[in-house]
Amino acid sequence: MDASLLSIQPAASEPIYRQIVEQLRRLIAGGQLTPGESLPSVRDVAGFHAINPMTVSRAYGIAESEGLLERQRGKGMVVSTTRQATQTESHRLALLEPQLQALARHANELELPAERILRRLTKLLGEER
Amino acid sequence: MNAMLRETESTTAPLVASGLVHCYEGSNALNGIDLVLQPGSVLGLIGRNGAGKSTLIRAMLGLLQPLAGSAYVFGEPALKLGDATKARIAYVPQQPEALSWLTAQQMLDFVGRFYPRWDSSFAKHTLERWQIQPNRALAKLSPGERQRVELIRALAAQPELLVLDEPAAALDPVARRELLREIALRAGESGTTVLFSTHIVSDLERVASDVAFLHQGKLLMRCTVDETKERYARLWLPPQASFAAPAQALSRRRHDDGSLSLVVARDAHDQWPEAAGLPSARLDALGLEDLFVEIAE
Repeated sequence: MDASLLSIQPAASEPIYRQIVEQLRRLIAGGQLTPGESLPSVRDVAGFHAINPMTVSRAYGIAESEGLLERQRGKGMVVSTTRQATQTESHRLALLEPQLQALARHANELELPAERILRRLTKLLGEER
Repeated sequence: MNAMLRETESTTAPLVASGLVHCYEGSNALNGIDLVLQPGSVLGLIGRNGAGKSTLIRAMLGLLQPLAGSAYVFGEPALKLGDATKARIAYVPQQPEALSWLTAQQMLDFVGRFYPRWDSSFAKHTLERWQIQPNRALAKLSPGERQRVELIRALAAQPELLVLDEPAAALDPVARRELLREIALRAGESGTTVLFSTHIVSDLERVASDVAFLHQGKLLMRCTVDETKERYARLWLPPQASFAAPAQALSRRRHDDGSLSLVVARDAHDQWPEAAGLPSARLDALGLEDLFVEIAE
């Protein structure tokens, strides 16, 4: 993996370390990062994006404790090979949770009935397939 | 206990300010500032023009004598720094003026001798990359070029404490990114402690570990950059719910329609104030810039 695969938005209201963890989770869930694949070093990520290396370490640490990454001797951080933390359906569903909550909030603000939204959503999901 | 804590802090921390007060012609520039920088931290100081950022930096380094309070650099009183301690610090003022009769090259060769860890190849290469004519007298350079030369001097010295007053002003976006990269990597790898002031908030969000908001001579807030984003938010309440507004808020603004905007913080149990749970309330995450604008108004 190359450090440029991450996109960092310093001005976003989400802290940078969480942006990194979130993107790793998606890249791994989506299969762009495969088990055993090496991650760029903390220095490479920090240097490429001109961000504090401690922020990158923190993100890697969290990803490791969540089972997304593991530390391999001599190779540094790699995508976890032992546990496919994000591959089960409920894990993948959990990735959608923020968007689902936002959708529910907007729907309530607009006072729209649930059935209409579900019908529309079902249609959209059908079209995607 | 408190006195003991202060004692250990002042002997180990790269920078300590304690009760700093200063005035210019009757107006308060610093209004009792306490600030400690831990080794390896990168503290970004934000404030509007005239908030007292430069005065605070100069007082912390012993370059001006405050009316009250004291400052320590690596445990030494800032007003009486020895040569050994000075060699561990590099400071770039907003408008450098020293040694202006020398050329950039002469100045770097000269001051390099005073720094035990001087990196002359870094100085040479960065002069080229940042497009400075090495054989021109410093006095003939533009203010921006002048500050770039000073930044090169400060970085080539490989100091343990790096203090930069508005460094971004003199740099184009590419050079600015390069400077941020240097700051970030040195802090992370060599444990360099950095204090820099800026009003470009996104620079600070990239590299700073900590942020301090200076407003009208007072520190409004001092915490880690991640905390500012996770602990604070803007709470909006419609007119009919504004009675429920929490008493504790960092800022409070009533709009013309009677609705209310507040900047609120999570409590000790990580909970938002109760009013945030009202169905008509809205809680919005804040970026650092929004947070600063909200509480500095």
